[in-house]
Parts: sequence; structure tokens; C-alpha cells
Amino acid sequence: MNRKRTLISDAFKAKTRRFTENTFGKPPCGEADQDGPLDIKSSLEYLMTLFPRKVFNDSLPRIVMKHQLYSLHSAKTLVDRQLNLLREQGDLIIFQLGFDADAFGLVFTSDYKEKTLAGIAGTECQETVEKFMNKVVPSCTDLSFNKDRMLKEFHFTDSEITQLVKCGVLTVRDAGSWWLSVPNAGKFTKYFMQGRKAVLNMVKKAKYGEVLKNELEGRRTTSQVKFPIKYHIYDIMGAELVESIPTTSGTMLRYVDT
Amino acid sequence: MLSFLTARRIGVDDPLRLRRAESTRRVLSLELNHDRDVDRIHGNGVNTLDIEVIEGRYMLSGGADGVIVIYDLENNNKKPQYTCKAVGTVGRSSRHVHKFSVETVQWYPHDTGMFISSSFDKTMKVWDTETLKPAEVFHFEGNVYCHHMSPVARKHTLIAVGTKDPKVQLCDLKSGSRIHVLQGHRGEVLSVRWSPRYEHILATASADSRVRLWDVRRASGSLFTLDQHNGDKSKAATEAVNTAHNGRVNGLCFTADGLFLLTAGTDDRIRLWNSASGENTLVNYGKVANSSRTCLRLAVSRGCSPEFVFVPCGSSVAVYSLHTGDLVTMLRGHYNNVDCCEFHPDYQELYSGGKDCNILAWVPVLRQPDVEDDGTAAGKGGQQAAVNPAYVDAWSSDED
Repeated sequence: MNRKRTLISDAFKAKTRRFTENTFGKPPCGEADQDGPLDIKSSLEYLMTLFPRKVFNDSLPRIVMKHQLYSLHSAKTLVDRQLNLLREQGDLIIFQLGFDADAFGLVFTSDYKEKTLAGIAGTECQETVEKFMNKVVPSCTDLSFNKDRMLKEFHFTDSEITQLVKCGVLTVRDAGSWWLSVPNAGKFTKYFMQGRKAVLNMVKKAKYGEVLKNELEGRRTTSQVKFPIKYHIYDIMGAELVESIPTTSGTMLRYVDT
Repeated sequence: MLSFLTARRIGVDDPLRLRRAESTRRVLSLELNHDRDVDRIHGNGVNTLDIEVIEGRYMLSGGADGVIVIYDLENNNKKPQYTCKAVGTVGRSSRHVHKFSVETVQWYPHDTGMFISSSFDKTMKVWDTETLKPAEVFHFEGNVYCHHMSPVARKHTLIAVGTKDPKVQLCDLKSGSRIHVLQGHRGEVLSVRWSPRYEHILATASADSRVRLWDVRRASGSLFTLDQHNGDKSKAATEAVNTAHNGRVNGLCFTADGLFLLTAGTDDRIRLWNSASGENTLVNYGKVANSSRTCLRLAVSRGCSPEFVFVPCGSSVAVYSLHTGDLVTMLRGHYNNVDCCEFHPDYQELYSGGKDCNILAWVPVLRQPDVEDDGTAAGKGGQQAAVNPAYVDAWSSDED
């Protein structure tokens, strides 16, 4: 009991912080979280602008990784749900990148169609690919296809499937099943892994293995890194290869030794 | 808080609502407490902890050196600082002590007269608490990773045991027989757990990346296997179809109502499943570092809304919100890897033990008690007693 006489007894003053939904636990460390509802589409657009078209001579559609979105929004489950919704609506295509079981690439459907058709224009697979685009892509949102499905549901013949694999639209997963893929995705994967390794090394070699995010964004990159450094930073943050620690001078990235 | 109390008094709110809100608030303010200590008996890492369900007063701990200790958690002296004393130890000098590390201990679910411990010396012993001697010893062919006895069972007294053998053994406490075997896994069984809702449902997790749910009354195999892609065969590589994780599954925990099951795997993920249908709820907890070679002991809070998961993660305990997957906080305090954690549902406290041989108590810190302002001698004396003796200034002299 406090013997000091006050106007209102202390019991009626709200001294403790109220835990509302928003300030639950850690403050939202995602950057795009300051605005109200979760806007995945605009974050996706923003990330797509970071994709360098010139490096691939404009032959690839813009690809963004799913975990890059996790670095922008802290509620991962909600991000997953919204992405699934976009995929069902047919605006987005999700495909497996192959180097990690969890790494999924996202492409806008319109972009994908445009670039693939432009890429194979004039070659002999053109008809097959067009047929694939018109029949399969709008109706089926899966990541991989089985042989029976291809033959029965979509009426593709074996030779047509071989043509699709040759063009790069399908990648072999197993005898009789294929992953959906983007043509020339191999080049993307190669440059991406190179760049990721180089940026991670930059963080690792810094003093104490930690770098301020703003400082890292301003650094010059070697010729190994073909993507803008911001693209790689969102990637390593989202894949939790570095720990993001909020400090008074901004976010700091610390290398995680696993 | 006052609005909750008023609403409860006039009948607008259910009494449970106040209790849930206050429990949640307490769990959100868990902190390492200077005043609460647990007696340090173990000379090697603490592998497992268990708090009895009847009173919540006694805690068992099993160590990597085979030692088992019983602590009394209740604070009977009038001072705030309290060391949980060890009331019984099965130490290295006892004739019946386990030869190698104790992996799991569990109190008998109906009273504290008995407890069961299993260890890497390929035995499981049923101990009498009074005399601290084993009443029954079960021998196995491989290392015993974990065992569990159903907390709600009335019709059976089976203990499920997971060993290096892919077959899950069921031992009967009443008759001492071990003929019931559950076949289906292809790798060592790292964790077993009975459902707290139905006494015949058992979940087992194995190093072959699969989690199976069994009904022990059924003669033919498991009920179903948990599939992380929910049957969507297109998402996984063909070998990974029908698996719960992309690595060994080493942690299992049911929520208190038995409706959801949490699994943890060495692919650094935790997944939440609907235990009735086996569906992956796809809650994304992010990367949860998990490099444990044996069972990882998770704990789930009880009586709060939203519920929290406590996961030992390196040298700290990570607290996640159960249904949204947000990281609430990391409880840091251990000097080395944390191996186990146990939630006390009545006081909303968390006890965690690790390789640094310490058992730390995390107690909710809400408001500091108000300090009396008039400086009477009695008041000051009372204040002095409230300070932990370690913080009392005993070296500076009054002359300066």
C-alpha cells in the first residue's frame, strides 16, 4: 500500500502495457509491416523490380523466391495463405527450384507466358508449348505432373512430352513425373547461388560476422554477383541464413553458423 | 484486469475468461528469476524433466550421468527467494542406478508413489518413490530413447517404449508383459506420446522421417502416417512423399486438449497437425534450429489463449505462438545447450534443463511489490529481507 496520498488510487491506473494483437511479442520486424493489412501483391511487385532483366538478355520472366517475402512480412503463415490464394486465382505460378526442398520460385503468369512463347517462337516445339500454356497452366496449379495425368487428362503424347522437356518447360523429377519449370532456369540458379554465396561471405568476413543492413546495401559487389545486392539481402534474410537483429541504427545482419 | 473482475462478478463473462487472460499475460512476461533457484545436484547435463500432474509440487529430473533427482517446488518459507530442494536422489552410489544416461523420466500419472525412467543402458526401471528402489526392470535390445505412459488411461496401464529397434514396444505395468509390439516404422523410434484425449491413441516419431498414429486396440498397423504435403504428391520429391519432415523426427507434443499434435524434425522445422485427420495445418514457424541426436522435448502451455510452444533451441528456449507461428521471445539464460523444458500449468512457470547442469526457473514478472515509503525500522528490516543475500553490499566500508 502506498502511503502517499494521490488523487486516484494506483489500482485504477493502467501501469502495465496492454498486449494487443499488434504488439504481440516482438515488434513486427518485417519492413512492409507498418501499413495495415498484408499486401502481398505490392511486395511481390516491388521484389520483381529488383530482378535484373539485362543479365539474362530478357529471355527469362522475372523470378522471385518465396522466402524473400518472409523478410518483408513477419507473419509467415499469412504470407503462405495469401500466396496460395493468388496461385488458385491463376495470377501466380509457383515452381520448385531444385537446390533446396523449401525453395520455391514465384513468377507472374502473364510474364511466364510471354517470355516462354517469345523464347520458343519459330522452333519446332512452338505448337506443343502453346498447347501446354493454353490447356495446362490455367487449369492446373500443381508443381509437378504425373505421366498418366499428362496422357489422359491433357492428351499429350510421349513425343510431345519429350519436346516440352527439351524446351525446358518441364524438368525430369522421376521416371514418369515432371516438375513444372521455367526455360533457362538453370542459368538463373547458377547466378543466384553464386551471388548468394558471395553476399554471405561479405557478412561472414565482416568484423564479428555482423553488418548493418544499410551499410551492406551500399557496398560495391564483385563481378560474381549479377543480381542487385538488395535481392540477395532479402533472400538471405528470408531463408534465415543470417539473423536480423533490430538495433538503434537500423537492422543488423549477423551470420548464423550452422 | 479490473474490467475482467467486474465482468466476472456481475456474470457477463465466463469465469474461465479471466483465468485465461491472466495466464496469457503471465506467460508473456516470463523472465529468469533471481529469487527462484533449483538445487544443483547433477554433475552432468540434465536430459529430462517431469512435473507431477496431481499437485504440481514435485519435479523429477534425469541426467546424463544416470542420476535421478526429485525436487520439491513449493515455497513454504515466507521469503521470496527460494531454492527448490532435492528431496530424494538416486545417485551414483545407489546399487540400482542406471549405468548410462537417463533419457526419459515420468511420474506415474495417478499418484507420486511411483515413477518410471528409461536409459541408454537398455533398461526401463519402475521405481518406488519411498524406498527409491526399482520395483520392476524391463530389458531391451537397443538403447531406449523415450517412453510414455498415458495420462488419462483408466482401462490399461501400458507404457509405450521407443528404442533403436523400429518396432514400438508396449509394456504392461500390471502384468509385466511386453508382448504387444507395433510394427510399421523403418528406423529407430525417437519419440512416443499418448494422446491426452483418448486413452488408446498413440503417436510415434521415427528417424525414417515418418510420424504414425496408432490405436493400440487395432491389430493391423497404424491408423495413418502424417504427410507434410497433405497428400499433394506434386510438392515433394518422390522419396519424400508421405513423410512428416525432411529429416529425422525427434520431438512430439500434443496440445493439452489433444486436438493438435506438434512435431519437430532435424530439417529445422516444427509442424502443427490436426490429430484427428492428420492434416498439416501449414503454420509456418520459420527455422527452428534442431540438431539433437535424441528426443527433443517441447512443451505447450495450458490454459492460455493463444497457446504457446516452448522449444529448446541451442542455448535458449524459443517461445512461439501456437496457431500463428510468430516468435514471441527467446528466453536466454543457459550457458550451454538446453535439452528439455517443462511448463507448470498452475503457476505458468517454465523449468528448463540443459548441458550446463542447471535447471532454470522462468517465472512471470508482473509488478514489483509497492515499497513502503515511511522509513520505520520494521519497514526497513522487511525490505532488507526482501533483497537476495547475494546482492547485499558486504564489502564497502562506511568511512568513505
